[in-house]
Amino acid sequence: MFFPCFKKYILKNNYTFFYFLFLFISLPAHSVNNIPTTESYDNKTCIECHEKDNPGLISDWRDSVHASTKPVTSCISCHGNLHSETGRFSRQNTTCIDCHGGKKSPAVHSYSTSKHGAIMQMEQNSYDWKKPLAGANYRTPGCSYCHMHEGDHNVDRMLRDKSTNQHITNRDQTLVQKVCQDCHSPRYITQLLDNGESMLKIAHMKVNEANTLIKNASKVFTDNELQPAKQIMIKMQQHLKNVYLGVGHQSPDYQWWHGQPALDGDLLRIKGVISELHRGSND
Amino acid sequence: MKSTRVKYIWIPILISIILIPPGFYFVDWSKSGEGAGLYSRDWSPEDIFAYWNPDDFYNSTQIVAGSFDGEACIDCHQGVTPGIVKDWQASSHSKAKEIVYCNDCHGSDHENLHLPTPEVCADCHSVQHDQFEDEKRYGFPGHTLAMERALDAKHFVDKPKAEVTACLQCHSVATKCDSCHTRHKFSAAEARRPEACITCHSGPPHPDDETYFHSAHGQLYLKEGQNWDWSKPLKKGNYPAPTCAYCHMDEGKHQVADKSIWKFGIKQINPLSSGNVIKRNKWIKLCSDCHEADWSAQQLKAMDRERKQAWKKLYQAEAILKDLRSSNALYPDAEHRPPYPGDDSDDLFQREHIGFFEGQASAFYNVSPIERDYFEMWYFANLGAYKGSAHGDNSFVKKGHEAMDKSLEKIKQDAKLLHRSGKSEIDEIITRSIWNTGEYTDFNRENN
Repeated sequence: MFFPCFKKYILKNNYTFFYFLFLFISLPAHSVNNIPTTESYDNKTCIECHEKDNPGLISDWRDSVHASTKPVTSCISCHGNLHSETGRFSRQNTTCIDCHGGKKSPAVHSYSTSKHGAIMQMEQNSYDWKKPLAGANYRTPGCSYCHMHEGDHNVDRMLRDKSTNQHITNRDQTLVQKVCQDCHSPRYITQLLDNGESMLKIAHMKVNEANTLIKNASKVFTDNELQPAKQIMIKMQQHLKNVYLGVGHQSPDYQWWHGQPALDGDLLRIKGVISELHRGSND
Repeated sequence: MKSTRVKYIWIPILISIILIPPGFYFVDWSKSGEGAGLYSRDWSPEDIFAYWNPDDFYNSTQIVAGSFDGEACIDCHQGVTPGIVKDWQASSHSKAKEIVYCNDCHGSDHENLHLPTPEVCADCHSVQHDQFEDEKRYGFPGHTLAMERALDAKHFVDKPKAEVTACLQCHSVATKCDSCHTRHKFSAAEARRPEACITCHSGPPHPDDETYFHSAHGQLYLKEGQNWDWSKPLKKGNYPAPTCAYCHMDEGKHQVADKSIWKFGIKQINPLSSGNVIKRNKWIKLCSDCHEADWSAQQLKAMDRERKQAWKKLYQAEAILKDLRSSNALYPDAEHRPPYPGDDSDDLFQREHIGFFEGQASAFYNVSPIERDYFEMWYFANLGAYKGSAHGDNSFVKKGHEAMDKSLEKIKQDAKLLHRSGKSEIDEIITRSIWNTGEYTDFNRENN
């Protein structure tokens, strides 16, 4: 079935056929460093080669949280295994979304309901994803534009230090300034960052107040009695995280409805549980 | 006898007339504080407020001196903030016969720049601005009144300002046109698409995004919307399915409140009042772009039935709370917890605020758990069901009503317990140590 068709094709378009044949054979010559683009790679091969080519890139990745995830978030996890398509895939949000909890996870949803995310949903099909992640090459930033700016493979640089909870602004404010300044004025960025810090401090105050209450109550009541309060505290931690995500991704809804008033509710319910215990024990 | 009585009528009239100027003076005085709005003397703004409400708070940077026009701005900002230059280059402003340059909206004196308010845009887009201003007469909820209503909200005045910055980002829809036409492209096509609305119209009290995207209309949009020609006006025959703007800003009219009947679902209204019947007919006419008028009318009636059912549940819960209040069984009661936000009269006469008309929308913190339960039933479950009903997403209607039933049941049970436990002698001690102090509670009391 296939062959007669093919034969007809050759007879009709003999020049075209030879052109494609030549192109196919010479493909390796068209690609960088003579790498055949149709060949697929595994993580080990990528690292071996790129460590010679660009050692900083590999060490940046090794320093990042991606290198220590289980299973490891390797080169091909984001770039795929076709060398010709690497940048186009890895820069797009779809590459990140699946591992980061899917479209409905707070991490992703806080971005997609931000103004950046909304514009991205409307325009992503019209962007040229082969352009570098710098210089406002994209009208709105995707995940990688901020978290891997200029192709920086250490995503941690744009995240908060988990152990100290110190924000990047305290560690390397110039990086945030630099990324946002592709589009926004320096004063706006500074004031927004300051405001975000204060908003987070307030969120922490609510959690601290609740924690202190539980701690004090644990001197009087058993773990079992305090279980309902501790259950609420688990929710409270998520709502605190929502404020972080709302501030980081600039989503008003995560700062507010999924964040601050939700924390208010958790706090007063924890107070409710503990005061009912006190009232009950007095009967 | 009669004539002497008539004489006395002049006394209250005279007093009222004398009091009118001081009244105006008082309102002016109360608006002249560091903040803005009716309670401006009670709070001071965060720096970032300048960008959400430029009219009240923006002052130009003083970093660069000199006067710049046209290409001079572009030349410099291409290096400083390339993104906005690229955006402007892609905009209609840069392609207009008479190019609209940076200085046309921001001014030329770099030490006296301003952020463009709707009034600045009105210089050229007066039709849209007139429509936008005209929306005020339909009241709130709506876009044009959004900022002043946010600033005058009791909880906004009361809470630390860094916390309520979150509010202003969305409520700035009243003070800047770029909420929908994002800077510096200011595209009409972009604002016609549903994603233009979702940054503010999402989350528990207004899941407009989810309910629309779940609906048949939204499903069609998600499937095919990328290929529709968004340069077309929002008119009959131009789009295979309606978007937010197609219905709420039909024919591109810059108003969202002119057809608003159920007022966001936060209070019960009578859909059969003469004004609402006129509005309803406007909706039916709009749906008739694609559907039969009778069918559309039936769908809208079904929404009224759903609303009636929802309010039946809400009023039951409200009655339980008011009953607890009258028998002094709420714990902690208003006397034993931080005062209701921004209400001076509460110092003299402390009272729990229950339901829409008593302003419970501002009382979602520092209240007893049962009041918060009602707030969530009303603000989250009920409003979710309403949005589901209005946008054609039955899953949200079902979910909302199930949540309301669950809340109502819980409120009933908890009310029984509260009635039974009454007041305890250690209440005073508990309220002092648990309800009236703490890291956030203290900070909130001292900072607004």
